Amino acid sequence: MRARYPDIEGHVERDGVNVGYEVFGEGEPTVLLLPTWTIIHSRFWKMQVPYLSRHYRVVTYDGPGNGRSDRVRDPERYSADSYALDAEAVMQACGVQEAIVVGLSLGAAYGVRLATLRPHLVTGLVMIGASIPLTLSSPEREATFERFLEPPGDSPQGWQKYNLAYWHSNYHDFVEFFFTQCFSEPHSTKPIEDSVGWATETGPGILEAEALNSPPSEPWDEIVSRLSCPTLVIHGTKDRISPHARGERAAELSRGELLAMEGSGHIPNVRDPVKVNRALRDFVERVAS
Amino acid sequence: MRAILPTHVGSVTNDGVEISYEVYENDGPTLLLIPPSPITHSRIYKGQLPYLSRHFRVVTFDGRGNGRSGRPTGRRQHTRAKNVADIIAVLDGTRTDRAILTAHCHANWWALDLALSHPERVDALVAIEPGVPFFGTPHQHWKDSGETWGEILEDPRGWQLFNRHLIVTDLERWVSFFFDAQLVERHSTKQLEDAVSWAMETTGEILADSEEAQDIDPPTREEFVAFVEGLQVPVLVIHGDQDVCQRVDKGRDLARATKGDLLVIEGGGHLTLARDPVKVNRAIKRFSDKTTGANVSVQTWTRGLNRRKRALYLSSPIGLGHARRDLAIVEELRKIEPDLHVDWLAQDPVTRVLEAAGETTHPASEWLASESGHIASEASGHDLHCFQALRRMDEILLANFMIFQEVVEEGDYDLIVGDEAWDVDHYWHENPELKRGSHVWMTDFVGYLPMPSGGEHEAYLTADYNAEMIEHIARFPRIRDRAIFVGNPDDIYPETFGPDLPKIRDWTEDHFSFSGYITGFTPPTADEALEIRDELGFDPDEKVCVVTVGGSGVGQDLLEKVIDAYPLAKARVPELRMVAVAGPRIDPGALPSHPGLEVLGYVDRLYRHLSVCDLAVVQGGLTTTMELTAAGRPFLYFPLRNHFEQNFHVRHRLEQYGAGAHMDYSATDREGIAEAIARQVDRPVDYRPVETDGAARAARMIAELI
Repeated sequence: MRARYPDIEGHVERDGVNVGYEVFGEGEPTVLLLPTWTIIHSRFWKMQVPYLSRHYRVVTYDGPGNGRSDRVRDPERYSADSYALDAEAVMQACGVQEAIVVGLSLGAAYGVRLATLRPHLVTGLVMIGASIPLTLSSPEREATFERFLEPPGDSPQGWQKYNLAYWHSNYHDFVEFFFTQCFSEPHSTKPIEDSVGWATETGPGILEAEALNSPPSEPWDEIVSRLSCPTLVIHGTKDRISPHARGERAAELSRGELLAMEGSGHIPNVRDPVKVNRALRDFVERVAS
Repeated sequence: MRAILPTHVGSVTNDGVEISYEVYENDGPTLLLIPPSPITHSRIYKGQLPYLSRHFRVVTFDGRGNGRSGRPTGRRQHTRAKNVADIIAVLDGTRTDRAILTAHCHANWWALDLALSHPERVDALVAIEPGVPFFGTPHQHWKDSGETWGEILEDPRGWQLFNRHLIVTDLERWVSFFFDAQLVERHSTKQLEDAVSWAMETTGEILADSEEAQDIDPPTREEFVAFVEGLQVPVLVIHGDQDVCQRVDKGRDLARATKGDLLVIEGGGHLTLARDPVKVNRAIKRFSDKTTGANVSVQTWTRGLNRRKRALYLSSPIGLGHARRDLAIVEELRKIEPDLHVDWLAQDPVTRVLEAAGETTHPASEWLASESGHIASEASGHDLHCFQALRRMDEILLANFMIFQEVVEEGDYDLIVGDEAWDVDHYWHENPELKRGSHVWMTDFVGYLPMPSGGEHEAYLTADYNAEMIEHIARFPRIRDRAIFVGNPDDIYPETFGPDLPKIRDWTEDHFSFSGYITGFTPPTADEALEIRDELGFDPDEKVCVVTVGGSGVGQDLLEKVIDAYPLAKARVPELRMVAVAGPRIDPGALPSHPGLEVLGYVDRLYRHLSVCDLAVVQGGLTTTMELTAAGRPFLYFPLRNHFEQNFHVRHRLEQYGAGAHMDYSATDREGIAEAIARQVDRPVDYRPVETDGAARAARMIAELI
């Protein structure tokens, strides 16, 4: 059973693709919780929705490729620019003029794009475990990106599993490996199980399309520097997916606040939800006043 | 002593009247604290200044008619317009372009006028117990007394004392009644004394004039309401709901009309800024931060299981004895919890002992207002009225509590140990929602006792302080997770806390654990004593008399008197050698000298001298006398006059051990001292042994909490 069910469920069609959204509560202002890498869907906000919706209107939606949205195979539907347009469409469908926008991991990049392409829609932006390439990732991860399209070795280990052919042959093993890396904190069995479960609702074909999307036309550090709304960056110091230095850089470039989570991994909103929830609420209150 | 002094003071002249201001320089926005003169002056903000000035630039001033400002007479000199012009003159004179205003009572009307006439100079307004017209409903007693204001009453009583003739002829009677009525909170003796003394710095004539000046040129209700509703500045109203000067619905209406924030302090009266300063201070800061958009830009939060166990240890700086025993406890605690990280929040002279021991002092320690400096400033000759000195230390304790609270909110401490950290214990009971971590309270005496010289009034005051402490603990048993009495039940003074209050011993046995005494050192064996004597250069045939007054800087008179007696004593005991220890706060060069007399400054590990001397001459402080007791040395002790702890608690405890010769400072001359030295030096003693496991016992009690 969910702790909180949506008050409104709906779909919005944008350029032939259905995007499923949910609305909780009716307080002001609105908090828009963005999708992230489509390997999981909007249920990864399950620890935030019940709390935030007691105070604000909360809108979540599934990006293309997972949850209640269409399983699109067109890589361009997975660009950050396209996600920004999906978010705009969802806000319009829900009658939301502006929102405080929260993104996790790749979702932080989508949020940055929304706030720079459509600044009037975003009154504040929170970037959690931001996967925005403002600094290099770990050397072992960077190495796997280069061999992503090459054949995997006989028995790939660790980040070698981040490989297109391996996804197609051993999707479940990759997914387990990946979320074990996301949740670097001890005693994370339930968050890993949850994420692996949500990952089964999509598959390697979708992730392949996502992987081939085009980056924005200008460098990310310039885009982040252009943000004009208040920002809060939340980043774990034990983030193995996107290094903590990226969070520091994002806060610096956006002239925002930084909440460093000592000992936390890539998805602190799930693993340390109390701290993240309260930080979100504080931020919303400050921005809204 | 004040907890903080201004960066600079100055004055401006407005329309021929000198207005004195104080500036506490800092980065960031300016807060202007406006006192409701002339009934009081800027000292009304003494609880706010130390804290707010750590976060903001703060300016305050004495309004016309009180404090260090001019005393113009006549109604026309005390109008709103004059007071508003004074405020502008202070802003100009202190080069303050704009400020967040904080005003109390009727000064809020001036602040609102200023916001209307000079909106570009007002960032925001904190209105405390605002006295503004037309909002809320006035108290009946103001209506009634207003009607007889101008009459000469035969026998005015109660609110009838609000009467021109009476105020002019007997100001003290009116202000004593008024502030007593305003301080509805129990245990407000100190706040009452303060408020009355500040009010007595004006004159009845001026106060009466200022009351009548309120009637000159008032706006209409419509004008006033329209103006307040049109106000563009953010407003925070703070109001006690038991306020009998300005009814709380005034504050509610003002908050509503300005769409401002409202903080109602339930059970609070008209002086919440003085009576609940912790809550008020934090509310002002929070509101000011919100107004100016100031935020902490980088914050770190550590996952629970990633945290190392951390303790914050507070060691009272009043005397050096706490430091030694606290170090001994921490040493034992680390045997049980080797990974425990300990930060010390402490001040001079404790920090010297901690540094010598290689301990970590929290950087916020630097901000602490000096408690030992205050105590030294309260002493005069061999006299320290320590109860009154503690009462007068109220603003220092508050200032230090506000620092402490910031430290614990940022420090993830599992454990707070306060060895006589009066500020923490008191203000956590007053603001129980602020408690963090497990709290150990530790003390070596319980109960304030009146000195006979203080008469009935002092007995009333000590009983009131004791009653407040008893009520605190009865209401919030969760604030002290452990209370440790450094000693044994027999050490407790056989008295009650006051009329209708329990016996100190019964209550303490119910509410404390007993660690036994903690010396912080193991007395030397006979062989070790010879070695130490050798190291210190004491000849086996010499009879060494060590004179020391501890670390507080109080006691120069005793040192001088004993040094003066040295030649007389030497004549009686030819082998006598005298070593006088001035300690860290007395200049050894300022003491008289004699041939054969040595004067030392600060001596690390002074207990080594004491434990091998043939006689010690000391004050009545607990630590030193108990060190001598533990080491089995003969000693003379002179309690400070009017020091209840030394005269009652310590003396009683020493009697339990059969230790030391009690001496009366004022009744003993040089001859008497010389005679006592001759009688006591090298005398064999038969004291009850002092336990040596006190620190370990205390450490075990503390370790259970982590």
